[in-house]
Amino acid sequence: MSRDQVLGRVRAALQPVHGATAPQSLGGWPSLPGPQVFTDPVSLFAERARAVGATVDLVASIDEAARQSAAWCATRAVRRAVVWNVASLAPVRDRLMADGIDMISPLLVPTRNWVDAVATADAGITSAEWGIAETGTLVLASGPDQPRLASLLPPAHLVVLRADRILPDLPALFARSDPLPSALTLITGPSRSADIGLVPVFGAHGPMAVAILVVTG
Amino acid sequence: MNQPRPARINMVANTTLALQDADLQGALNHALVRFRRLRTDAAAEVPEWEALRDLAGEIKAHALAYLDVHLTQLESRIVALGGTVHWASDAVEARRIIADLVRTRGVRRVVKSKSMTTEEIHLNSALEAAGVAVVETDLGEYVLQLADEPPSHIIAPTIHKSVAAVSRLFSEKLGAPPLDDPEDLNRVARKALRTEFLAADMGITGVNFAIAETGTLVVVENEGNARLTTTRPRIHVAVMGIEKVLPRLADLGVLLRVLARSATGQRASVYVSMITGPRRPGESDGPEELHLVILDNGRTRLLADPDLRDSLRCIRCGACLNVCPVYERAGGHAYETVYSGPIGSVISPVLVGMPRASDLPFASTLCGACAEVCPVKIDLPRMLLELRARAVRAGFTGWVDRLFARGWTFAMSGPGRLRVVAGLGRLVQRLLVRRGRIERLPYPFAGWTAHRTAPPLAAHAFRDWWRSR
Amino acid sequence: MPGGAPGNSTPVALFVTCLIDQLFPSVGAATVRVLERAGCAVSFPDAQTCCGQPTFNDGFWADAAGLARRFLDVFADAPQIVVPSGSCAAMIREWYPRLLRDDPARAERARAIGHRTYELSEYLVRVLQLTDIGARFPAAVAYHPACHGLRGLHLREEPLALLREIRDLRLVPLPAAEECCGFGGFFAVKFSGLSGAMLEAKIRAIESSGAEVVTATDVSCLMHIAGGLTRRGSKIRVMHVAEVLAGI
Repeated sequence: MSRDQVLGRVRAALQPVHGATAPQSLGGWPSLPGPQVFTDPVSLFAERARAVGATVDLVASIDEAARQSAAWCATRAVRRAVVWNVASLAPVRDRLMADGIDMISPLLVPTRNWVDAVATADAGITSAEWGIAETGTLVLASGPDQPRLASLLPPAHLVVLRADRILPDLPALFARSDPLPSALTLITGPSRSADIGLVPVFGAHGPMAVAILVVTG
Repeated sequence: MNQPRPARINMVANTTLALQDADLQGALNHALVRFRRLRTDAAAEVPEWEALRDLAGEIKAHALAYLDVHLTQLESRIVALGGTVHWASDAVEARRIIADLVRTRGVRRVVKSKSMTTEEIHLNSALEAAGVAVVETDLGEYVLQLADEPPSHIIAPTIHKSVAAVSRLFSEKLGAPPLDDPEDLNRVARKALRTEFLAADMGITGVNFAIAETGTLVVVENEGNARLTTTRPRIHVAVMGIEKVLPRLADLGVLLRVLARSATGQRASVYVSMITGPRRPGESDGPEELHLVILDNGRTRLLADPDLRDSLRCIRCGACLNVCPVYERAGGHAYETVYSGPIGSVISPVLVGMPRASDLPFASTLCGACAEVCPVKIDLPRMLLELRARAVRAGFTGWVDRLFARGWTFAMSGPGRLRVVAGLGRLVQRLLVRRGRIERLPYPFAGWTAHRTAPPLAAHAFRDWWRSR
Repeated sequence: MPGGAPGNSTPVALFVTCLIDQLFPSVGAATVRVLERAGCAVSFPDAQTCCGQPTFNDGFWADAAGLARRFLDVFADAPQIVVPSGSCAAMIREWYPRLLRDDPARAERARAIGHRTYELSEYLVRVLQLTDIGARFPAAVAYHPACHGLRGLHLREEPLALLREIRDLRLVPLPAAEECCGFGGFFAVKFSGLSGAMLEAKIRAIESSGAEVVTATDVSCLMHIAGGLTRRGSKIRVMHVAEVLAGI
């Protein structure tokens, strides 16, 4: 059986390294440094996210975020949007619905048409679980009301991130022991490629525009 | 099964051809000078960069030292999450596993994101033979697939195609109007590939890292096609070399910090997908089935070799290729192997065998630039030298080299012999020296004088000067 | 001015290297002069030949091991050993123990000898703690950091520190200085196209620097660069760091 063959070869190869029997405890693991400490992680996050082509706006409250989301949708002439059906985004969802934007939701669309429906959206609106200051990265978790495609298929992606969820760096994120979702996606700026003509272009496959609203209050 | 004797890769011939291609030279130089600067700037921004490299190297070394433990833990985690783990001894088996999945699951269309491992096992031709349409979704790979051309090199696979050429291609194959703006051309490709993504039954990717502790597969990219490949189709197949396992989630934090900076000078790649099992109940997207194919295909040979084991630390960032003065002039094709550049010159002789790849370790000046930038501190020059010694011991070396070695050892075996040989040299060189230099050395040393003059032996050796002091 | 006052002299054994011995003896003479000016009493064990690097680099390790064993015998009783070549010093320090891995007693001797083997500029700056030996060399000079010294011995600052103290010497920056010149031993003959292309890039950089003289710690790089400059009819002179220090 291939499994036995491959593992057998691995064990035979490592026998001189750690003996004939597999170790009970793995000794000598490299000790990792702790997370970095930044004096102003929110500003660093904003600077680093802007550096990769995202727009970042600081807002004082979720209601202000709702107002800005509506304005953003208006300037982009958004008519259909996928919005995560999570409690933290309720004010945003309500405001956009009030503005007459079609909400595409898995609850309302038959499953087999869901993906096609998302593909017609002008924007995807999600929250972010965390932000990473060092790189300007958004951390999105998948879930029943948190479809992955919302931040992937539509040409524009709007993200609401609480300022107190901004971590200094990746080690800070992975030091946590939260259970992992089926897909934890780290997003740093709009999708990009330089394969055609060596000219960097946004929106290779994913969104061309990423707008981040950081809620400080 | 009788296989024809593999043809030896002739690096001298291949690099000579590459040097004659002025367009290739210009394109390579332009791209690599840029990548080098980006990497240097990105590393300079991190004050603890050298310590980070040390740490990343230690993490990978430790992961390799207990690879069997980590692999079995990874497997049990993935199975507990509802995924399936397959083990492939070699490329033949890996292809069979995936072809079986295609057959039993009624797959007709496959989308792929770029993966060196799937190239290594020649997956595409096997799938096509099984009657399945396979679409490459990285923009560069897609262009080449449309044009039915191989990548001209790894970093920018379409570097040989001008914008005008791509426009003509898209008009011909996709019915697009003539366009001269790369942004517009990207839109065309994006739209065409969208249709493919939405129609595909199976998505195939590689794996950058696999976390044993949590059963998480990590896929790193900039375009978003890997995300689409792992989200939309109902089946996701991930193909992974055994060496990609990391023990703990915390280890990923360190490796990701060095990967993008080393590869392209970005602080982070645009997308890092951390996939922990297939879609969960209640979710509306994500694959229903997740399959991991764990591939050996010669890696255990490297693992068993104390002098070469560290080459398995490689995280496929490409920094060594970018900085190599030989790769800069030879380009990826000259190596005729899936893995080229310094790392390719080390692992290919073991993965594809010495009879085919014995020339590769010699195509280097051992300048050490590669080792200086490797984020996991692989001592590539040391390994290249080890491989040269093995090539010689196994008889894969030219008669000129053997002649030179014999002659040199004889001459240097003692001052008396050296005096005799050098004395003879001083006599012979009278035929060659003009105006204090040698313009043409005879075969087989003519290569020297093709590009530079040669110095003559001095009239009196240092040791003679010393004695007369 | 540091002096070689009699009775105050540090004994050093010179390993002059095969290329300098037979092709560039003036570099050896300059090395002796520099060491004496720095206060050393120089000896030359005349049974010496070659460290074995050429055969080693081409994969002929059995041959190279023979020369390594020879070196250990010739220099067995030597005090500190000074080598006007970064690549030979690196060979002895980094590779002798590996070459003799199957002979633990000799490997141990190799490690011991490696600990007291130094490249010339490394010796002057790190061991003797000297950067100024009272030299004068009026010219615009570009320094090419030879790869084995640079990356093998971490020789980055030492040659520059010495060059900066030389009176009337104008050190000009060399573009892309740390890029390999393309010598690489037998590579220069076997892969002569690649070697020639790398040489051309190095020469373009040297010419663009405005230097009148290019210098380095290794004659292997220098003879390759000199060969290219001569072929082009260039007036730029090529000199080993020892020659610049000796003010020749």
